[in-house]
Amino acid sequence: MDFSLIAMQLFSGIALGAILVMAALGLSIIFGMLGVVNFSHGAMFMVGAYAGLWVASLTGSFWWGLFVAPIAIGMFGMAVEFLLIRPLYGRSVDDPLLLTFGLGYVLVEAVRIVFGSDGIPFPTPSQLRGVVNLGIGYFPIYRLFVVGVVGAILLALWLLLGKTKFGLIVRAGARDPQIMRVLGVDIGKVWLLVFGLGVGLTALGGVLAAPMRTVNPEMGSLVLAEAFVVTVIGGMGSLVGSVVAGLLVGIAVSMTALIAPEMAQIVMFALMALVLLIRPQGLFGKSGVQA
Amino acid sequence: MKKHLLSVENIGRTFGGFKALEGITVNFEQNKVTAVIGPNGAGKSTFFNVLSGVLTPSSGRIAYKGKDLTGTPQHRFVHLGIARSYQITNIFPLLTVHENARVAAQAMHSRYNIWSNRERLKDLDEKADAALNAVGLHGCRDAVAKFLAHGQQRALEIAVALVADPQLLLLDEPTAGMGPEETKDMVALIERLAAERTILLVEHKMKMILGLSDRILVLHHGKLIADGSPQQIQSDPEVRRVYLGQSHGYA
Amino acid sequence: MTNINPIASPLASAGRAPATLATAGGWRAQLVKWRVPLSILALCLLPWVLPSKALAVNVLIYGVVCVGYNLLFGYTGLLSFGHAAFFGTGAYITGITIVHFGLPWYAAVMLGVLGGGLLALVIGALSIRTRGIYFSMVTLALAQLVYYVALQASNWTGGENGLRGFTVSKIDIFGLHINFLDPLQKYYVLMAFAGLALWFVSRILNSPFGAVIEAIRENETRARACGYNVERAKLMSFTLSGLICALAGTLSAMHLAIVPLDSLHYQTSGMIVMMTLLGGAGSFFGPFVGALAFLLMEDVFSIWTSHWQIVVGSVFILFVLFLPKGIWGALLAWRASK
Repeated sequence: MDFSLIAMQLFSGIALGAILVMAALGLSIIFGMLGVVNFSHGAMFMVGAYAGLWVASLTGSFWWGLFVAPIAIGMFGMAVEFLLIRPLYGRSVDDPLLLTFGLGYVLVEAVRIVFGSDGIPFPTPSQLRGVVNLGIGYFPIYRLFVVGVVGAILLALWLLLGKTKFGLIVRAGARDPQIMRVLGVDIGKVWLLVFGLGVGLTALGGVLAAPMRTVNPEMGSLVLAEAFVVTVIGGMGSLVGSVVAGLLVGIAVSMTALIAPEMAQIVMFALMALVLLIRPQGLFGKSGVQA
Repeated sequence: MKKHLLSVENIGRTFGGFKALEGITVNFEQNKVTAVIGPNGAGKSTFFNVLSGVLTPSSGRIAYKGKDLTGTPQHRFVHLGIARSYQITNIFPLLTVHENARVAAQAMHSRYNIWSNRERLKDLDEKADAALNAVGLHGCRDAVAKFLAHGQQRALEIAVALVADPQLLLLDEPTAGMGPEETKDMVALIERLAAERTILLVEHKMKMILGLSDRILVLHHGKLIADGSPQQIQSDPEVRRVYLGQSHGYA
Repeated sequence: MTNINPIASPLASAGRAPATLATAGGWRAQLVKWRVPLSILALCLLPWVLPSKALAVNVLIYGVVCVGYNLLFGYTGLLSFGHAAFFGTGAYITGITIVHFGLPWYAAVMLGVLGGGLLALVIGALSIRTRGIYFSMVTLALAQLVYYVALQASNWTGGENGLRGFTVSKIDIFGLHINFLDPLQKYYVLMAFAGLALWFVSRILNSPFGAVIEAIRENETRARACGYNVERAKLMSFTLSGLICALAGTLSAMHLAIVPLDSLHYQTSGMIVMMTLLGGAGSFFGPFVGALAFLLMEDVFSIWTSHWQIVVGSVFILFVLFLPKGIWGALLAWRASK
């Protein structure tokens, strides 16, 4: 087992983790602000991939797909929030969960109707093909790109949430929406934007993941479970937790694939079980503060 | 040496960096009514939560009838004889009044029986009805709890605690949200209960407390700043300063 | 986070919790008293009323799953999204013990039930460390773990292709020789088990423990203050629920003679949730009605289109929005208000 192989596998794990982070972050942001766990999150990831595919095939450019798809799906998310989730406000906390689960069902089937049930390969854009030698090994350029994009998004999010008025509202409103209303903040608009942001992030994850996997209607179902695992490990509602846990899980899966490939998927669930035993609130979650 | 029913020694409780309670040492005697008062944020709820097992103290000890109770899980408390009512009504909304009391009574007897028919446990009905009688709710025993008037819900709140036949009854603002008439009824109820049990209550209504209590504890910023009879407390300069310095005076 | 009115339990505010029996009038109390015989009667008639015997068997099996699931969801108030794990495990153990160990069918069934129950105990112990929505997420993820283990352990489970090679063709019991390959005879054998399961659940609901789980659903904090060990009671409910679902799984294995891998997938868990809600989580009959409604819809819609799932999913969304009590629950509420 030479160092170069380990380094490449490690990096592969980071790339995988980056995708997980995108999915988990979206989930976490929506939950933190609206108290809603979006059970159609995996389906949105998948729809993002398909949207990227479709725009790319229309325009002939991956970049258009990468740019347009998350925005379009984000807007779709806003419509979902306004039409389907907002009417449930004040009812049982389980209702949005159940509704979004049904929505996921519908989305998967809708994609099957429009695009068919078979997987569609998504070619890596020509500018990002191939490998580059970084001294310790040859790294796929596309994966470097993915890590780069996710890193840039994280930076942008950090600036958005930490330095803007909107970000302040999001962070404060997560604690008490009543206070926000009293202070004259249009909480409805904030919810709309936050839900759209969360969905857009996961759709972006889908587009980014598309060249790395086959695009098929089922690709979201694993992502949902993965996003849950990452959120549980990282801590519910903690954005830092989602990032750290996402990378951790990505690396763990990738390294396990090196040693015992059949255990690779299982190891992330085993990690989650371990966290539940030792620290149920997650690595960065607050003790006793749960849904 | 008087036998203390409940004694707490140097109780402290911190949340993160915030000291909600600090260095509280008190001995509670049997069959007295003790009130805990203090401005908002003084730590009264935290103190109650520590005494009823909802929170474990960060430091110090609780002893009940001589036995160390620190760290005991909350659900054991009522079995030991300590029951509480809550400031925000905490009952079973969709069950009837009678069912509320009955399920509370059942906790003393049968918690894991999946086989017998629970209708057969007749003595539970008697215990439940006795508690409802004691608080004056026997007339509406079949009403669904959610639809009761506020005052009746507060009474049910107490009945549910009472049904366990506790020696120590912790009442958290029993007259919360009540007008003068309902408050009078509640005071009368508490006086009746005090004849056989030790009562500890948190309240804001000063006139009520002064008339009802044998002893008053005053908390401020998590510390015990005064402890004495109503007359002593009324003339305590520190207490006056703490209360008159606030915008909420005597209620 | 929204400040939920402390006096209303989540299910209560959704209108899904069972109405108190005492206030609902004599007819409701009678319905409760005779619920097991009535259910069994309905089940006896099912193969004659429904368009196909296969549909009837499915309604039977999924009806039992949903009734078992409802013990945890409707009566204890815990929304698990991982109950397929127990259903699937019951099925797999039944198949595995017949295929790999050559055990007779009744031993396979018993082991299936016990195995599923044991798994429920373990998963429950882990999940109950969390609450609310978090709990739903954890149950989904832990069940998915079971899925992946089954996928990988293909020597035992057949992996992606599912477990095959065990057909129960005849059952000799109490001197009766039953031809299990005959659809009608098969149905009534499975119905006997289903009846037992329903009777068991009914007993639990009538028992002191039944009052405990309802108290927990209504107000967990108050239940704890009353002296109930809430975590232990939840775990017990979880395990009992898992046992019933595992039994349904064993019945499914015997019926299909295969165990598809998807029986462990969270889509199956979700389907169980949907069925239960469609019928009404707040009652004993509701889950069965829901299973019937769901499977009928699938039967009917799949004639017109292979994309019937989109219809079912949309119907479910509409139910969540407008009819949270479910079909049976709404019927009961309407009847009670007259």
